[in-house]
Amino acid sequence: MNQPPPILVARDLRKDYPMNGEAVHALRGASLTVQPGEYVAIVGPSGSGKSTLLHIVGGIDPPTGGSVDLLGTRLQTLDDRELTRLRLTRLGFVFQRFHLLPVLTARENVELPMAEAGVKGPQRRARARELLEYVGLAHREDHRATQLSGGEMQRVAIARALANRPAVLLADEPTGELDAATGREVLDLFRRLNRDGTTLLVVTHDERLAEQADRVVHMLDGRIVSEKTTPR
Amino acid sequence: MISALYLTLALTQASAPAPDPPLTEIAVERTTAEHLHLAVGDTVRLGASPDSLHRLAVITAIYEPKPDPAEISRRALGIRLHLPDLADLLGAADRVDRFGVGLVPGVSADSAVRVLNRLAFGFRAHSSAAIASESSQTFKVVSRFHRAIAVITIVASAVFLLCIMLLKVEERRLDAAMMRFVGVRRRTIFGAVVLEAALIAALGSALGAGLAFLAGAATNAYYRRFFDTELTFSLITPRIVLFSVCLSLLLGIAAGAVAAWRLVRTPPVVLWGRG
Amino acid sequence: MGQGVTGLGWGLKSLGRHPLRSGLSLAGIAVASAMLLDMVMLSGGIEQSFSELLLARGYQIRLTPKGTLPFDTEASIVDVSQVVARIRGEPGVERAGAVLGTSIYAGVRSPHGKGADSLVTLFGYGIQPEAQGIYQVIAGADLSPGDTLGVLVSQPAAALLGATLGDTVTLLGRLDPQIADAGVGRRLVVRGTARWIYDYRGQPSVGAVLPVMQQLSRRAPADHASLLMVKAAEHAEVEDLATRLRARFPRLEVNSVADLVVQAKRRLVYFTQLSYVLGGMSLVVAVLLVGTLLTIAVNERLGEIATLRAIGVSRGTIVRQVLAEGVALTVVGAAAGIVLGLLTAEYLDAILTSFPGLPAAFSFFVPRAGTLSLAAMVLLLTGSLAGLYPAWLASRAPIASTLRAEAT
Repeated sequence: MNQPPPILVARDLRKDYPMNGEAVHALRGASLTVQPGEYVAIVGPSGSGKSTLLHIVGGIDPPTGGSVDLLGTRLQTLDDRELTRLRLTRLGFVFQRFHLLPVLTARENVELPMAEAGVKGPQRRARARELLEYVGLAHREDHRATQLSGGEMQRVAIARALANRPAVLLADEPTGELDAATGREVLDLFRRLNRDGTTLLVVTHDERLAEQADRVVHMLDGRIVSEKTTPR
Repeated sequence: MISALYLTLALTQASAPAPDPPLTEIAVERTTAEHLHLAVGDTVRLGASPDSLHRLAVITAIYEPKPDPAEISRRALGIRLHLPDLADLLGAADRVDRFGVGLVPGVSADSAVRVLNRLAFGFRAHSSAAIASESSQTFKVVSRFHRAIAVITIVASAVFLLCIMLLKVEERRLDAAMMRFVGVRRRTIFGAVVLEAALIAALGSALGAGLAFLAGAATNAYYRRFFDTELTFSLITPRIVLFSVCLSLLLGIAAGAVAAWRLVRTPPVVLWGRG
Repeated sequence: MGQGVTGLGWGLKSLGRHPLRSGLSLAGIAVASAMLLDMVMLSGGIEQSFSELLLARGYQIRLTPKGTLPFDTEASIVDVSQVVARIRGEPGVERAGAVLGTSIYAGVRSPHGKGADSLVTLFGYGIQPEAQGIYQVIAGADLSPGDTLGVLVSQPAAALLGATLGDTVTLLGRLDPQIADAGVGRRLVVRGTARWIYDYRGQPSVGAVLPVMQQLSRRAPADHASLLMVKAAEHAEVEDLATRLRARFPRLEVNSVADLVVQAKRRLVYFTQLSYVLGGMSLVVAVLLVGTLLTIAVNERLGEIATLRAIGVSRGTIVRQVLAEGVALTVVGAAAGIVLGLLTAEYLDAILTSFPGLPAAFSFFVPRAGTLSLAAMVLLLTGSLAGLYPAWLASRAPIASTLRAEAT
């Protein structure tokens, strides 16, 4: 049986930043392949290049060297508008600090990417409710983001990330701002997402998140030093 | 002295030989001379009405009148004659509208006015100061208007200032939180913000005073040219500068104090964004 | 929802993020808007008000002694009855009438018979009731053309003289101040109370038919007047008529309403210029306030903006979001400003209309729908433009470095 092609192929990625007149080498030739439906955790100490790798494969940050093929498309050939469109329709992002729009309700925050993608009102609202129910927050749909707890905000952020049915969900320290209990809620959610077929690429310090991943990628000093597949 | 009544001036043809009757001597105001293209030596005809331009006069002088704020916008044309000549022209012999009285040094104008008014009826005496006050009503209205505009401007500035101070302080809430965490007292942070606000207000006042002088100079230059006068339209006195500086300092410090008070009464955890 | 994250609705919601900050900004914009509205009203108010005053009775042309404006000097038009007859015969003239303005006097009894009686000064109008453009009867009856026994009084004059309809008053003229003796006196019956259109507030005025007032006035010859008022026939071209009258009467100053408005504007040019300067400054303040607030708001929300860009929201949407906030601030602020502006205009108008000698019916600040619309449009445009720089700033927010900075 033929295996489907990888959803993400990153080859020999390098990223340098100027800082105080010197170049900081955030990535020094990292390569990574992710299969459809895989749950990959990227771990490593601060400054190892985890977030930089995530940003590059997510099309947020261009690499200094190397290439990224995401869903069959070479990211380096796309302009800003095309990259933005790709992120809107094929990727989902979850960040450490949630960044929901405080003046919108939970439902409106989830609707936001769909509105940007041109989805009509009734379909948007229905899908937003469905997603909020999925993350266990249907009863809070009309609360403004500022009225939600940290864990609730992160779950709304996850629902937002799923709004346009992304092929890959990228998460950068999703439990970084949460306490243990709420962090566990997010863990459960990610597990469920992956069971339901969503490909996950998660940067984390949280060992619990790493434990439930199919594969754990260790980074150090801008390089991938080891990859460990979790036995099932 | 007869107050300027209506006269009609008409120019004679310069080429015609001057007739024998003696010419009345007149002096013409500079702006009038420029407007009518008159010069010393020109002959004109005078009359009390357009149909009675019988009196020939020769221009013997061009004069610059004392600038009168009440007259500049009217742009009236003026000439001066000897009193008997004007009286004769108007058919009002031995009659005047008003006359001026000069007092010997040491005599108070108000007491002189009282004495004169008791002397006889048929006229009223007024001190020059009283007349100036009475005839300044127009400018008092303008002053009130300017003051009203100034008040509105000050209110707008105060609101703007408070808004900006609040924004500035909010921008640095994380810094304030960190300072509180490491033990810096509220009073110190409050004082620092208020001092900063005072410094900004002081610098702003200095800049504002400079701008005011420039604007005043520009205003005077423009309106002197516009009205062809030497009057001063904008006058910035030390008292005005002092008042403005004190007011802006007061407003700046008050705005800084309000912003600082909001900052220090907020728990540092909330400032940090975690509370 | 699509409109909801970039339309006015989004902008209005954003105002709720920081209520105090928004409130202060709105207050600042309201005051700037009020000032702008007042200055727009002032810049056009003089012209509008003066035109309305001059056309109150439909007389479009004035004739005065050469080089003068109506009631500006003591000069007068002689042989006025002949001049009026000639004007009335001119094609295109519907009506023409002469008006004489002069100081006259009346004796006033001391209250309760205590103290000496006194003389009061009144402003006397000599009128031709069949062709007049300077008063409206508000009580009683108008004078008939040949009524040499009747007088109309203004309300201040009636109060001063203690006279009511039907009372007889004695008007004195050609007063010799040295012996306080009047050269001529006339006993007249109060026929009606009139509102004299060009009177200043509180002016005590009386009006009698022209021959009566000519007799009471000091000047000779007798057949004179201060000005002539001409109403053009319905289909006549006013400026054309004025030109013909200028040619026909070269010794008279002929001014149409448009000419007089120009003269008035020239005399009050300072206020027009001030209105432009202050109006411009108000706009600058509004732009600064909106621009500063939005710039700081954008800087505060760079993390949020970077996240939005990361999840696929386009630069265009971000720009529209920021602009929507600026528009919302301006719309709400301007709405409050219009209300405030109308109130402050009333206050400022009360100050300026206390100019001595200014007709009571004159206003400097004239609110009109057109004026309000113009001010609102200018503000809206300015508020929108003020958001351009912060919107540009927001659209250029670097995503990755901002997210990195947020995470540390």
